[in-house]
Amino acid sequence: MIVSWKWLQRYINLNQLSDAEVAERLSLSGLNHESTQALAGDWAIDLEVTSNRPDCLAHVGVAREIGVLFDRPLQVPDPQPPVSGPAIQSLTYVQVDCPELCPRYTARLIRGVKIGPSPAWLQELLANATGDPTQFKSINNVADITNFVMLECGQPLHAFDFDQLREQRIVVRAANEGEVLEAIDHKTYSLQAGMCVIADAQRPVALAGIMGGAATEITERTVNVLIESAEFAPGSVRHTSRRLKLSSDSSYRFERTVDPVGIDWASRRCCQLILEHCGGQLCSGVIDVGASPIARAPIRFRLDQIARILGIEIPPATVRRILEALGLHIESEPNGNQVWLATPPAWRRDLSREADLVEEVARIHGYDKIPEDHAVPMAVSQTTPLDISSQRVRGVLTAAGLSEALSPSLVPAVLSDLYSPWSNAATLSTLQPMLGVLDTKFWNNAGPVDCVRRSLIPSLLELRRINEFRHNLPVELFEIAKVYLPGETFPVEPTMIGVCSGRSLLDMKSVMAEVFATIQRSLKVRVEVVQDSFFSPGRGLRYWIGDRVFGLLGEISRSTQKKMKLRQTCVVGEFFLESLVQVLQVIPQSQRQSLYPAIERDLNFILDTKVRWSELEATVRAVGGVLLENVAYRETYVDAKRDGEGKKRVLLTMTLRSLDETLTGKQADDICQKVIGACTDKLAAKLVAG
Amino acid sequence: MSLPDFVSQLDALVSEAEQSFADAQSAEQLEAARIEFLGAKAGRLKAVQKLLGSVAAGDKPAAGKRLNEVKSAIESAFQAASERLENVVEEVCDETFDATLPGTSWTTGRIHPITQTILLLKDIMGRLGFTPVEGPEIEDSWHNFDALNVPTIHPARDPLDNFYLASAQLWGNGSSGGADMLRSQTSTVQIRTMQQRQPPLRIISLGRVYRPDTADETHYPMFHQMEGLMVDRGVTMSDLKTVLRLFATAYLGNSVPVRFRPSFFPFTEPSVEVDYYWNGRWVEFGGAGMVDPNVFQAVGYDPEQVTGFAFGLGVERLCMIRHGIRDIRDLYTNDVRFLAQF
Repeated sequence: MIVSWKWLQRYINLNQLSDAEVAERLSLSGLNHESTQALAGDWAIDLEVTSNRPDCLAHVGVAREIGVLFDRPLQVPDPQPPVSGPAIQSLTYVQVDCPELCPRYTARLIRGVKIGPSPAWLQELLANATGDPTQFKSINNVADITNFVMLECGQPLHAFDFDQLREQRIVVRAANEGEVLEAIDHKTYSLQAGMCVIADAQRPVALAGIMGGAATEITERTVNVLIESAEFAPGSVRHTSRRLKLSSDSSYRFERTVDPVGIDWASRRCCQLILEHCGGQLCSGVIDVGASPIARAPIRFRLDQIARILGIEIPPATVRRILEALGLHIESEPNGNQVWLATPPAWRRDLSREADLVEEVARIHGYDKIPEDHAVPMAVSQTTPLDISSQRVRGVLTAAGLSEALSPSLVPAVLSDLYSPWSNAATLSTLQPMLGVLDTKFWNNAGPVDCVRRSLIPSLLELRRINEFRHNLPVELFEIAKVYLPGETFPVEPTMIGVCSGRSLLDMKSVMAEVFATIQRSLKVRVEVVQDSFFSPGRGLRYWIGDRVFGLLGEISRSTQKKMKLRQTCVVGEFFLESLVQVLQVIPQSQRQSLYPAIERDLNFILDTKVRWSELEATVRAVGGVLLENVAYRETYVDAKRDGEGKKRVLLTMTLRSLDETLTGKQADDICQKVIGACTDKLAAKLVAG
Repeated sequence: MSLPDFVSQLDALVSEAEQSFADAQSAEQLEAARIEFLGAKAGRLKAVQKLLGSVAAGDKPAAGKRLNEVKSAIESAFQAASERLENVVEEVCDETFDATLPGTSWTTGRIHPITQTILLLKDIMGRLGFTPVEGPEIEDSWHNFDALNVPTIHPARDPLDNFYLASAQLWGNGSSGGADMLRSQTSTVQIRTMQQRQPPLRIISLGRVYRPDTADETHYPMFHQMEGLMVDRGVTMSDLKTVLRLFATAYLGNSVPVRFRPSFFPFTEPSVEVDYYWNGRWVEFGGAGMVDPNVFQAVGYDPEQVTGFAFGLGVERLCMIRHGIRDIRDLYTNDVRFLAQF
């Protein structure tokens, strides 16, 4: 809302006040000062008005605030335009078919006006209140006066050329689907059923509360003028305005509600100014259709609530002065000790509860009066296991050279459908897509970004593609974020660790092993090879903790690579962070370390090619006993001539050590024999002699 | 030969020998020095020893004693030198090796600047006694709006301003039959926490929120918020101002001016906007206020018994000012050159 300093002075004495001082106080009492423009003999002060304060979308409202802040009286005109024509009811008729869209409609009629330019003072004030007088275009005296009254009191008005109204009457109704209206901006709007229009006997002549129509606008030939002052339902105005992408000063105010008592005041004020500046005769009476304003109920205000909420005492006399200056009527409750009955004025619909009054007192008294060095009781806070786990994961992954990415939770269907390892249910989608988040040059047929993602992997592949395209190599990324798996009433939202790397599968596997080890040093994680065409054959792994799957890691297949137009293959993985949180060892515990030397024994087995290392290791560990400290893989060697087709040699090293003694060669030999026996029995392994 | 002459020859010998042994840089040099001083046939010690015969008989015991001392001093100097040289390996300089070449490629990854900002916020709020809580991002409109005192006709609920789920009609309008939207604010987590726990509460919730702005330099349809809540008996607006002042000081530093001005949010009354003075203008830091009694009623708290304050701020703006990031989209494009800067 831009207010003119000069205009404000019509209602309040601003002598001895500077515009800067006033702007500062207004900022600190709720009307945030955006800027001040110096004009010839005036200041245009731009104030941000929050949606609960439509009364301040007007000069009188802002003047009232200044009056309260600086303790100066407010003078508001009391328009009593002289009546000299026949009763309006004998000349026109207003019918409201949709009271839910238009709770109240009033009309006055002035006949015999002389349309012409508006007076200089009026043009000057209107121009200054735009903030940029060079942009201001005066329309004519009647139209300018309706705008003036709106900027004076906040009530939008509309003036119709009465003779252009078919059958000289007004019908407020819902539009019919397909009706069209040429508005005064000379654009034609196609109306949809349910939009509220002002019509005459035959056709829509205005978009209710938004804009008038060209057919009935005031022109130099206009002689008789019908003045509309009404109230339209905020939701309906907003809905229509957004659908038609047409907003105006009028719609902005109706969306925030208007003062029900001010409707008639504005109508009288408008007529008074038209009679003064355009001549004509005002028909007697007013057409007033709909509910009259209801008297406001008093609010019970316990004065002790001020200290309870604000933490400071404010003298009752100050409280009373503030509330009365804001227009509230105060009475003490009978027998009430420090309890008032405060009736808010019509223009303050936002005041309905005690808490609202506490705020009014606080903001006028000044938030700066409330101390900000109060002794707040101390309290301890906890770092959550989820945060501890995330940070450990980040620590290892960044140490391993992966950077953290954050990518949008919504993806296009092409990415959502690429891979969904955790849910077969159809992806959730949003009514509105995310705009501007997709590389549309690449994904020209991807469809809208409206799928709530079920996996981080497609997003990470997309980030990899973008970086490849920009020649940013290497691309080593991870993300810790939620995915959304459709559920009964609420989706399940597990937090996932996603990784995407250009290094080898086994390299990435060891990075993940280190991640798990920082969560719990002795965590037992099992892997199995999965059959999944998303991964390169034999190069996808499913991860287990106990009997629960908690992740996947693998090298993407050639076809995945092709779909994503990736130049290079890569390794991707996704793990449930919550599974790690469940096994998190918050405080690692020290284990006793053996002080005795270890014995290492190499075993070289001939095995079927199909035998996996995981099976061999498990077999060795199962019989190795407590003295088996570690089983390390050394190498695989294939020599079909010596060992036959379908065979391989796997060399492993066992580290044997006791906590309590130096092991003897015989103890080591015994373990070796047990291991060889088990491998022979379970895996048909043959020990390479020598 | 007089005794003083003999002794002075011995003294000269010992100092020369010690010097030679100390100067030896290789086993060969040391061996040469050993032969010179300690050689069995023509060593200089041997030569001096021969002069003992010409010393007067009365002086002989003294001269002999001195000779023995010198001999053992020279031998121990030799011993020390040979121990020193035992660990010396002859070094050959490989001229083809260039130690000024760049280090072998090895990098660490970086934590995303938004995460870094969130960690800092959690750290500061943690010191003030606030513990993080988590909640769902896909919400029902009861938690996102109704419980937060946002009326059914409020513009904030407009379908164009929210990411409602395509399946939302399953639940009807505004009912809490199930998830129907992506949350537009993290305040939903406060509601869920208050439904589950009794005061006193000191919590923060941090996370992703969603509003359908078209992505441009300063807007992104997904962003992060931090929301804080403190509820107890006797919490007042001076607690609010004190906590936010401490927070602002911890985040921005002591010298940055901060102001509190009235504002409007449906879920707080009175409401506050906190600004800080930065580069010659007031910048919005975040919104706050005393929890509206209607919010307490919605979660089953008695507003006559407890009071509280809530605050919220956008993480992106703090992060961008902090790191000089000009385009919010950079945060979510994840160009690795961008990420490597932090």
